[in-house]
Amino acid sequence: MDKIRRALLGQIAKLTAGAALVPLSSVASAGINDQPPRREGDPDKRYAMLIDLRACIGCQACTVSCHIENEAPLGNFRTIVSQYEVEHEETGDVATFMLPRLCNHCENPPCVPVCPVQATFQRQDGIVVVDNDACVGCAYCVQACPYDARFINEHTQTADKCTFCAHRLDVGLLPACVESCVGGARIIGDLRDPESQISRMIKEHYNELMVLKPEMGTSPHVFYLGMDERFVSRPDAKPAIWDVRDQQGEEVGYEFSGH
Amino acid sequence: MSSAVIEVLAPRYGIAWYPWAVQYFFLIAVSYSALLLTVPGLLLGKKDFQPLARVALLVTVSCTLVGPVALLADLHQPLRFWHFYANLTPWSWMSIGSLLLPVYLLLVVVYAWLAWRPAMQEQARGDGWIARISGWITLGQWHSPRWMQVLSGLGALAMSVGIMVYTGAEVAIVKARPLWDTHWLPVMFVLTGLVAAAGLVLLINRLMTGNNEDVNRQSLKVIFVSMILSALVAALWVSEGITGFSPSVEQAFASLQRNPEWRAVALYGLLVGVALTLITIAMLRRAGWLARSWIAGLLAVHIGWTFRWMVLMEVQTVAKNTAGYYQYAIEAGSSGLLGIIGTFGLWLAALLIIDILVPWKKSFQAGAH
Repeated sequence: MDKIRRALLGQIAKLTAGAALVPLSSVASAGINDQPPRREGDPDKRYAMLIDLRACIGCQACTVSCHIENEAPLGNFRTIVSQYEVEHEETGDVATFMLPRLCNHCENPPCVPVCPVQATFQRQDGIVVVDNDACVGCAYCVQACPYDARFINEHTQTADKCTFCAHRLDVGLLPACVESCVGGARIIGDLRDPESQISRMIKEHYNELMVLKPEMGTSPHVFYLGMDERFVSRPDAKPAIWDVRDQQGEEVGYEFSGH
Repeated sequence: MSSAVIEVLAPRYGIAWYPWAVQYFFLIAVSYSALLLTVPGLLLGKKDFQPLARVALLVTVSCTLVGPVALLADLHQPLRFWHFYANLTPWSWMSIGSLLLPVYLLLVVVYAWLAWRPAMQEQARGDGWIARISGWITLGQWHSPRWMQVLSGLGALAMSVGIMVYTGAEVAIVKARPLWDTHWLPVMFVLTGLVAAAGLVLLINRLMTGNNEDVNRQSLKVIFVSMILSALVAALWVSEGITGFSPSVEQAFASLQRNPEWRAVALYGLLVGVALTLITIAMLRRAGWLARSWIAGLLAVHIGWTFRWMVLMEVQTVAKNTAGYYQYAIEAGSSGLLGIIGTFGLWLAALLIIDILVPWKKSFQAGAH
């Protein structure tokens, strides 16, 4: 708690400097809670990711490299691999299922229209980003995201999320998670380019691809290959281990949920 | 194929809206509801309702002043509040709210100022520092015409409708949380707001005025009608979930399935709701019991506040993607317990400062000719 306030005091000096005003022309004809016009980014591209779950071994290399690249606070994740132990109730056979999660850079992102200051917006290339100099930290976007892909960064006291490593893409590099994936399970690319690997794979596996929570009407742009439909929405599962940290973010041990 | 699934390692996502949000939603709902209670006595000039209007006006002003402070505190970057006005965003409910709120606050203050002004002008003629301050606040001895009172009242009422709609819609449009995503939520916010406002009026009527019987009776009636309507709305919401009429409500039920804590919450809500309704009937029927209406007032305030706590805080512990439920333990610091106590402390301070400076118990027409 005190850390939060200290961080806030540290921020005060920086508060006003970068708060770029959005030109009034962008206040277009969008109705309440409609998607506002996209801005910035390359209009000729539409980035998306395909995750080949058949190639994911759940090593969490993506989780770690993302953490290092984007300096998320301890305990917060821009991407993480959910791991499930699935036991067949009759035969007793056990299998594991890995599900990398990240921002879905939806075509209809519910986090964008709720933002009261236009700090979170969708670029013309489809990437959803947050302008941390404009963000007031109201956390409305955190509530609106059905995928828990957003959090309030305790260091910046503003909304934080996966950006497909836009800063790397813009200079021709791959996102940290893609770069570090040992199985090559994560494929990022431009959907507008029919020759890109992702476009070719989507064409090839079109009928097998799934997205998370399609019922939310968000049209996610992270596609899963080799997905089990029981995991598309909140899975009917029991938590085994909670990661326990104290107020300072220090790990205090593991706790079994006791069920 | 039946299988048992275990999520091996479940990350815990923190709470994004703090108890400050509960305080804001509570205070602003009490504010607009108490404003409605001033209408018959103050705006329409009905004599029988003037004692009620006097207490309700004090409630509405004190809550209107303190509510926005709690809202500001819920921002993680409170000093950036001006970004709301530098980046107008008409498609965001929260942005719309940021425009409505200051206008509402201003109109409520003007409405109360005009109502209290005649008595304060009289007070300003006396000696001492209170008289001097009263002179400054009243801005002179000129007579304020009735149309100003009516106009500011109508303006505040119009804005209060805006506040009701925006605070409700802001939460109800969040599809990601099926427990919020229902058009009944804004209605329920208003109804429980009326219950809490009438409850607070009962408490202040007992503590600060002479426990006026008319005020007790009228407030109990407001609570009774609001509780009956709340029960109806809750029943409609439940039936939408059971019949599958609303897939979102159905999903909301599914998200709480087999959770004993939430079942206990539902049972508790039902019990206190029935208890308050029955107590209200008993107190209205038995003449001797009317003086103890403050007990119903306490319960009513409890229901209004706890409803918001459950909706805004506990719903955040329902995981969107991961297995299980997050454990929310309220912190001792300013984003937790201290924030809750601090907000109520500030409200009490506002109430007492008004009580010192404003002769609010006097008839509205005092000093006016």
